[in-house]
Amino acid sequence: MHSKQSKWLWAAAIFVYGFLYVPLIIVVAYSFNDSKLNAEWVGFTFKWYGLLIHNEQMLVAARNSLIIAVVTSFCATVLGTLAGLAMHKYKLRVLPILVLTPIAIPEILMGVALLIFFVMLNMTLGMVSVTLAHIAFCIGFVAIVVRSRLQGMDEALVEAARDLGATPIQAFRLVTMPLIMPGIIAGALMAFTLSIDDFVITFFTAGAGASTLPLQIYSMIRIAVTPEVNAISTLLMLLTLTLILIASKVAPSALRAK
Amino acid sequence: MKKLFLALMMAAGVAQAEDVLHIYNWNNYLAPETVKRFEASCKCRVVQDYYGAMEEMLAKLSAGAKGYDIAVPTGFAIPPLSKQNLLQGLDLAKVPNVKNINPAFMNSKFDPGNKYSLPYSFTTTLLGYNQNKLKELGVSADSWSLIFDPVILAKIKGKVTVLDDSREVFAAALMYNGFSANSTNPDELKKAQETIIKAKPYWAAFNGQSYIKELTVGNIWVAHGYSSDMFQAVADAKAAKRPFVVNYGLQKEGNTMSVDSMVVLKNAPRPDLAYKFMNFILEGKNAADLTNLIGVGNPNLAAVPFVKADIKSIPSVFPDAQVMKKLQQLNALEGKQLRELNKLWTKVKTSK
Repeated sequence: MHSKQSKWLWAAAIFVYGFLYVPLIIVVAYSFNDSKLNAEWVGFTFKWYGLLIHNEQMLVAARNSLIIAVVTSFCATVLGTLAGLAMHKYKLRVLPILVLTPIAIPEILMGVALLIFFVMLNMTLGMVSVTLAHIAFCIGFVAIVVRSRLQGMDEALVEAARDLGATPIQAFRLVTMPLIMPGIIAGALMAFTLSIDDFVITFFTAGAGASTLPLQIYSMIRIAVTPEVNAISTLLMLLTLTLILIASKVAPSALRAK
Repeated sequence: MKKLFLALMMAAGVAQAEDVLHIYNWNNYLAPETVKRFEASCKCRVVQDYYGAMEEMLAKLSAGAKGYDIAVPTGFAIPPLSKQNLLQGLDLAKVPNVKNINPAFMNSKFDPGNKYSLPYSFTTTLLGYNQNKLKELGVSADSWSLIFDPVILAKIKGKVTVLDDSREVFAAALMYNGFSANSTNPDELKKAQETIIKAKPYWAAFNGQSYIKELTVGNIWVAHGYSSDMFQAVADAKAAKRPFVVNYGLQKEGNTMSVDSMVVLKNAPRPDLAYKFMNFILEGKNAADLTNLIGVGNPNLAAVPFVKADIKSIPSVFPDAQVMKKLQQLNALEGKQLRELNKLWTKVKTSK
């Protein structure tokens, strides 16, 4: 099947994917370049990665990012799973709207709103405020994934368990939970990834001493995109891609449901 | 899992209980060795957070972000901060090293009497250039004519970038025409606009981001930009063993200068450490670290003996009284003036 049409489709696909991936490949390549200028290839080096390991600010930012992402993915997964179950079970119109609004509204609005809210509560911005903000915008994503998993589940299974004498709790623990587990894991990985990568909301809600990796990178590129920035970006890309791949392996339907 | 969560929150809590000074600063604007020495002398930790633009810092502090002790705003940002009651009045008796500051940098129009701020460092806006190319073409960078005079520009067409900043470009054009960089006179602004529109076809781009790299690589021969960036470009070109020399210098018609100052925030958790830090940084040796690191101008006279010889001789870093007279800080524009300038700028941007 090599009609004219399919050739055009191939060309379009190659163009689009090239546009998406070539810049990323360049960043990765230059992170191994033995020159401070992102201009010409001088030689292969691991020097920039070595510098990263000794860059205290980077390490602190990486630590902050990881702490926030771990706590966020745990809390958002618990709350998001509950929200997903509720959206599936009670067909209330208002529930999906409440849960999914944070996904739909522009990040910048959410960031400003959260900042004003935290200030109103007289809360000192820091790790805690960033974590709360991340949990708030991750719940919706987890809820969607879990709900889509529930929709693909056969209700008869739960009913059968109940008929055989299981309590509602037992039925959930022994039947529903194992069945939707891939969705929960995928949701958790997604929350982790979103938290690690988020810039806008973090920027507004981060306080003194709570800089994350994206904030750190952003403040560095004002001067120039150094190979060190390329190196940290490469590592961040690697982490994110790995998690997305795991998520798509665990729950192939989850990512399609977005 | 719950235990882990608690442990993490505990760790975050414990980290805040020791003596920590929080500085809200530009990235790479405080030498690491200075931080280490200060930490040793005050037995405390310094934690820095960064902003990438003045607007960012203003937005965040205006919204009520707390937890920072010291911030380092550029001149024009001081009035809005003090108007919003976000700054502490300074008790200069607690900062004996104020005596080291060059009087020319004290008592600026943004903070008369240094009620809230003390100068930290400054940059000038000037021209960086490829020395070999300009020599070859027989043109000089000591006048703004290099980026405004079509006769000269004809030789370097497509190899010039100017900042993507209406204030800076208009200031340069105003000075080139013999007016004040802060002029708000409509006729003078009109004339400056004409100058810019005539020169624009010869420029490659409005670039405020990557001109360091473009100069260093050799794609661009003349760039309008900040002295600290040009310093970086010179160093990068040397390090990369480029076949040409990058240099930079002031223009005889005058240049703009922006001074960054230290302020103590109203809700600073540790004003005591903030004062300690300000006095420490105003010691000559400590002030010199930053200039040696990134080549910024230094308002601290006591720093001079500690600055590397090759930096000391650069007029844009240590201007003498003569040069000082020609450096102007840009005023903050009020609403109507800003709208007028934006109109002129839009026309510049859309002109063919």
